[in-house]
Amino acid sequence: MNVALPIAATAPLGEARHHLSVEHVWKSYTSGVHVVRDVSFTLAPGEFLTLLGPSGSGKTSTLMMVAGFEAPTRGAIRVDGRDVAQLPPERRNFGVVFQGYALFPHMTVLDNVAFPLRMKGLGGAARRRAAMEMLDKVGLADFAARRPRALSGGQQQRVALARALVFEPDALLLDEPLGALDRKLRESLQIEIKEIQRRVGVSILFVTHDQDEAMMMSDRIAVMQDGQIAQLGAPDEVYLHPETPFVAGFLGDTNLLRGQCVGLGEGAAIVRFAGDAIGPARLSRGGGRPGVGDAVLVSIRPERIGLLRPDEVAACVIEGVVADRVFLGRHTRLVVHALGQMLVVSVAEPPGADVVAGAAVRLGWSREDAQILHEMGTGATR
Amino acid sequence: MATRVLLVPPLARSVQRSPFWLLLPVGLLYGALALLPIGVILRLGLSDGGAPLRTVLHSPLLLRATENTVVISLLTTIIAVALGTLLAVALWRAGATLRSLLWACILLPFWTGVLIKNFAWASLLQDNGVVNAMLLALGVTDHPLTLLHTRFAVIVGMVHYVLPYAVFPIFTSLQAIDPLLERAARSLGAMPRRVVWLVILPLIVPGLSNAGLLVFIVSCGFFITPVILGAPSDMMIANLIDYYVHELVDFNAAAALSILILAAIAVLIALQQMLPKEGQHGTA
Amino acid sequence: MARRDGLGRIVLYAACLPVLLFLLLPSLVIVPMALTKGQMIQFPPIWISVHSFADYIEDPQWFRSTVLSFEVAALAVAIGCITGSAAALALHDRRFPGKGLVTGAIMAPIVVPLVVLALGGYMVFAWLHLIGGWMAIGLLHGMLVTPYVFISVQTSLVAALNPVLVRSARSLGAGRASVLRHVIWPAIRPGVLAGGLLGFAVSFDEVVIALFLQGPDAVTLPVRMFTAIQFELTPKVAASASLFLVLSVLVLLAQAAVMRRRASGRAAA
Repeated sequence: MNVALPIAATAPLGEARHHLSVEHVWKSYTSGVHVVRDVSFTLAPGEFLTLLGPSGSGKTSTLMMVAGFEAPTRGAIRVDGRDVAQLPPERRNFGVVFQGYALFPHMTVLDNVAFPLRMKGLGGAARRRAAMEMLDKVGLADFAARRPRALSGGQQQRVALARALVFEPDALLLDEPLGALDRKLRESLQIEIKEIQRRVGVSILFVTHDQDEAMMMSDRIAVMQDGQIAQLGAPDEVYLHPETPFVAGFLGDTNLLRGQCVGLGEGAAIVRFAGDAIGPARLSRGGGRPGVGDAVLVSIRPERIGLLRPDEVAACVIEGVVADRVFLGRHTRLVVHALGQMLVVSVAEPPGADVVAGAAVRLGWSREDAQILHEMGTGATR
Repeated sequence: MATRVLLVPPLARSVQRSPFWLLLPVGLLYGALALLPIGVILRLGLSDGGAPLRTVLHSPLLLRATENTVVISLLTTIIAVALGTLLAVALWRAGATLRSLLWACILLPFWTGVLIKNFAWASLLQDNGVVNAMLLALGVTDHPLTLLHTRFAVIVGMVHYVLPYAVFPIFTSLQAIDPLLERAARSLGAMPRRVVWLVILPLIVPGLSNAGLLVFIVSCGFFITPVILGAPSDMMIANLIDYYVHELVDFNAAAALSILILAAIAVLIALQQMLPKEGQHGTA
Repeated sequence: MARRDGLGRIVLYAACLPVLLFLLLPSLVIVPMALTKGQMIQFPPIWISVHSFADYIEDPQWFRSTVLSFEVAALAVAIGCITGSAAALALHDRRFPGKGLVTGAIMAPIVVPLVVLALGGYMVFAWLHLIGGWMAIGLLHGMLVTPYVFISVQTSLVAALNPVLVRSARSLGAGRASVLRHVIWPAIRPGVLAGGLLGFAVSFDEVVIALFLQGPDAVTLPVRMFTAIQFELTPKVAASASLFLVLSVLVLLAQAAVMRRRASGRAAA
């Protein structure tokens, strides 16, 4: 069940059946800097939730608070309803994979994976057997007797995963685990992690700054900015219906258009753009309804703007002049001068030879493609 | 508009490096002042079919001096490594300001040189010195203890001198530990004490052994401290050489003794090189 | 959780306190010792007087020894800086089998007992009829100073010399000498300075070699103090010891300043 939660809900966050619940958590240092501001989300059993944001957005700090390495200044963290704030990291039963993997260099791969079982008090033979099974699952059984430094980055990553999963934790916490790897390796490991999650059924809280990675792996994404969650929802929801300019811009390219609200309807508004073009746009969930006459900001993704044939119609049609055309393999990118600004249009099929710089074109989009944005507040609730 | 790119031609590695003959000065200096003397020492010590060597080996003084040297150096090493570990860990855990303060405290004696330190300890440990004054004031004893010119004073002076040498290698190996390893261990269920025992300690063993070897070798060579702070019965190997040179004026025997010392040091270093280099840090 | 960490730290630092006191105690008592009246050093000092300092400076022998120690140290630092820096440059960025051995050999003077070096030096210089001159001591001290300069310059090279700078300078037409003056020297200057300062302290304070190589006109200050200490602890000795201490502190501060400049230079680079 992928339900996009409103950003700053005052209602209690779910019943005790939610596995992990982060509730109105703040983190600030003595210098007065707030690194995490009123962050709330839940992680359902078996769910893959990603905290996505640029560096400094507070995503790693949030993860560290869930893991127990930092204490929230305000707010609560609950597992199955129980407040875990007093529990030190070694008692929280989360598997953590750190940046750089943090494998113990003086132990063999097998001893690394067996370590958490040893902490749980399992006997030597039993824990080695269980560790071996785990290594087998990640395909590294042959490397059991080696030292971590003899393994490649991708292999070390898998050992770190095995080590974090072997003791059947309540959830898996991953802090940008794939950052140090090259693209091909990263992609194959993304698939592997998803595969492991499906097989083992563990909940995952994932931190990354890579939007493609977040979209590919997550059930839900929490986009973070300056310590707050700007938007929380399924990948398609967050991509197609961003709430704020930051979210719209962070998850891919977008066109931002300024206009004036000239009418309101069911879930949509009529917007007049520069040059008197008029078209519908979806209202944002969290921003409230604009009044008639208010200025609005609208986001439209480049691939949602269509190049119209002379006889085609759309919900909103505008005229423009092509400024540049680039063939990028998977799509062709046009920069079009329209509505008093430069719009980026992405077309899958290469347009006709007559669509070159200087050519006049007609562009169009439908109501679902245009999204009204609002600026984010400071986290205060309505 | 086309941009022009300025290419930096790849130069041969040899052009980047400094010329090898820059090693000449150090080679000349060491050759003249170290290799040549060692050659002379070898020649003298092994002359006459090894007679000086035999003289030295049969001397009862050698036995005494060697025993003193080994015992005192061993005690000094154990104490210095223990205290050095304590200081190194404190340095490692300290914030920036505290760390600078600690370094200043550790380095000040390092800079004040052996003579000053021994002189100060002599003043402190004498019968009417500070230490006795404090002991009397605290009521620990009712008459001044003889602290100066004892083996105890020698060890105090030596530990004081070698402590910084012990701290450096241990601190270096602590710093080399990946800071995330502790968090990883705790996230996997390890309580702080087990983290120290199972993760940190194994990784500083090379540092500990380096510190121990360095301190032991330096301790063996001590000359000044046994003279100023010790009794004649605390004579160490270096004092014995001085005795042969200045009292008995038997250079050959002194040379023979030097050969023995150098051989012993070489053996120690070779042994330490053979220890398994555990805990090498190869992370991604 | 943070609370438990905090407790552990307090225990750690509390345990360090006696050790730190142990380290600092000698340095702390020297100057008060020098300021006593009377011929014998005692504690608590009777009352403050600076006559011991006056005694020390006015004694021609002690004064000459002080000057000599400076001369010796200056020569030692000059030699040590040249050999140490050159060796560090030669070995920088180079790999060859046996590099560890060469490095170990350069560092050897720190580990080999001074007596052995002193004995060997004595025999060589006696053969050359150079015993009794301050230059012999200076030369041998030069060998003692070399490892310190070597390490210091080596650290500077690794930390502050951007390899790309050398390449770009050469490709822009700079010859070897220019590269040395404009690229390498600024990078190693803090290292040479730091190593030189440390070397100065090492040489100025050295006893054993100076003892073996001494002559009627070549008695360094430490040797004079060493002889005096064995017979009596007069305030004059304490006075010179205090001066020693002040000198050491000055050198330590100078070195700290150099280190800080080196660190900020690295940050700027």
